[in-house]
Amino acid sequence: MSEVIVITSGKGGVGKTTSTANIGTGLALSGSKTVLIDTDIGLRNLDVVMGLENRIVYDLVDVVEGNCRVKQALIKDKRFDGLYLIPAAQTRDKTAVKPEQMIRLCDELREEFDYVLIDCPAGIEQGFRNAIAAADRAIVVTTPEVSAVRDADRIIGLLEANEVRNPKLLINRLRADMVKRGDMMSIDDIIDILAIGLIGVIPDDEKIVVSTNRGEPAICDSKSLAGQAFRNVVRRIKGEEVPFMSFSEDQGFVMKLKKLFGLKAN
Amino acid sequence: MEESIVSFKAKGNELILVMREEDDFDRILESLGRKLDSSGRFFRGASLDVRYRGKKLNEEQERIISEMIAEKAAAEIVSFSEDEDHPEQDDPRDHEEPGRTRDKLRMKLLYFRGLEEGMTKFHRGTVRSGTLVSYEGNVVILGDVNPGGEVVAAGNVVVMGSLRGLVHAGADGNKEAIVAALSLQPTQLRIADVITRPPDSGEQKQGILPEIAFVKDDMVYIETFLPQYK
Repeated sequence: MSEVIVITSGKGGVGKTTSTANIGTGLALSGSKTVLIDTDIGLRNLDVVMGLENRIVYDLVDVVEGNCRVKQALIKDKRFDGLYLIPAAQTRDKTAVKPEQMIRLCDELREEFDYVLIDCPAGIEQGFRNAIAAADRAIVVTTPEVSAVRDADRIIGLLEANEVRNPKLLINRLRADMVKRGDMMSIDDIIDILAIGLIGVIPDDEKIVVSTNRGEPAICDSKSLAGQAFRNVVRRIKGEEVPFMSFSEDQGFVMKLKKLFGLKAN
Repeated sequence: MEESIVSFKAKGNELILVMREEDDFDRILESLGRKLDSSGRFFRGASLDVRYRGKKLNEEQERIISEMIAEKAAAEIVSFSEDEDHPEQDDPRDHEEPGRTRDKLRMKLLYFRGLEEGMTKFHRGTVRSGTLVSYEGNVVILGDVNPGGEVVAAGNVVVMGSLRGLVHAGADGNKEAIVAALSLQPTQLRIADVITRPPDSGEQKQGILPEIAFVKDDMVYIETFLPQYK
């Protein structure tokens, strides 16, 4: 039973690519054969975040145009078995791929992989249509900002219109201290507006920036709070019931430490 | 798919054009045009004997296709006629890998030979991410090549700046081609069909010394470029 999951947001910069890299890595770590597809043609990033940029020979456009076989474009991750990437082309644009071609490609990949994760470009144009064409499930990423939530709402509407049922919400970059002061939207505020199921909440974490720049997903870092949150998301994708991490209490150093120990235990 | 509407095969100076019989002429013409736009440059300057298979053409259609090849591929058409002694034309396996046919052709026959003295493109300014500078000759970049930027040349590539993007010299098969840069730190470096990338250890090279990359025994060698020792 393989699944095609699209990770989308509408707004740019909310963490689609980071989420794709982390969730994909997590799925592979948990033993599922996973392939990541970057559909952001012309503005590819996923290869950089994964640290695989220098291995690219063939890309998504080469595959759909038939310049190479699918196997040739699959880049094996340098750290984890069972994790592969199909990068986007950089010197082309979104119109180089058509939704039907994505469906055909994903159907081929379904044969071999447990999960196909599609990193969607920002926006609602051709790139978005390509990315969602073959998806069984969708994860909508948003940050606790009015503008990001507004775009997420639009995206959820478009997903429903395109028959991608039951999208799940991933709230990224939440800062518990700011929510407490009333300076940031809370999880409940966001769910009130969007009215879809939550699949995870990722706290704002400096380590994400470091790991993104190094090309090593944060999910591998056992000390990172965001990494732990992503591990929970992965377990939920695989159908486990995992309680949500609590960010509501004071995020002092001691509390953080206690929480880490508590979390590590489960 | 589209690949199979028209495909090329090459044998010496003979170009064999395989067209699907069931497609109508306009479709073939359109597909051929696209194919010539993307790969026609490999025939540049060649004198070709063109034979075609599959679709039967009348004189008018022969003339249209012949002119199209001559114009788009910048090749001289010596003759154009139907190829009769190949009854296996309908076997799809036969032309399943057009890329491979083209590769062979590129490697053996018509690659760019003007490495010492030949057509050269000068590009002023930085080649940024998403930009492709490609040329059927040598390329000189007066600026940097950033990660995500690509330089593809049939001949040599010289970068008067930092080379951090992807570079492909001798792109149509000439292994004698070189890549030189004031600072050589490419994401990936290709010469003809040899592909290399820097090691994963990720250590940054310190200081700027001009370097030159070349192929010997199918391996890419990188040497500091110190002209005084020549």
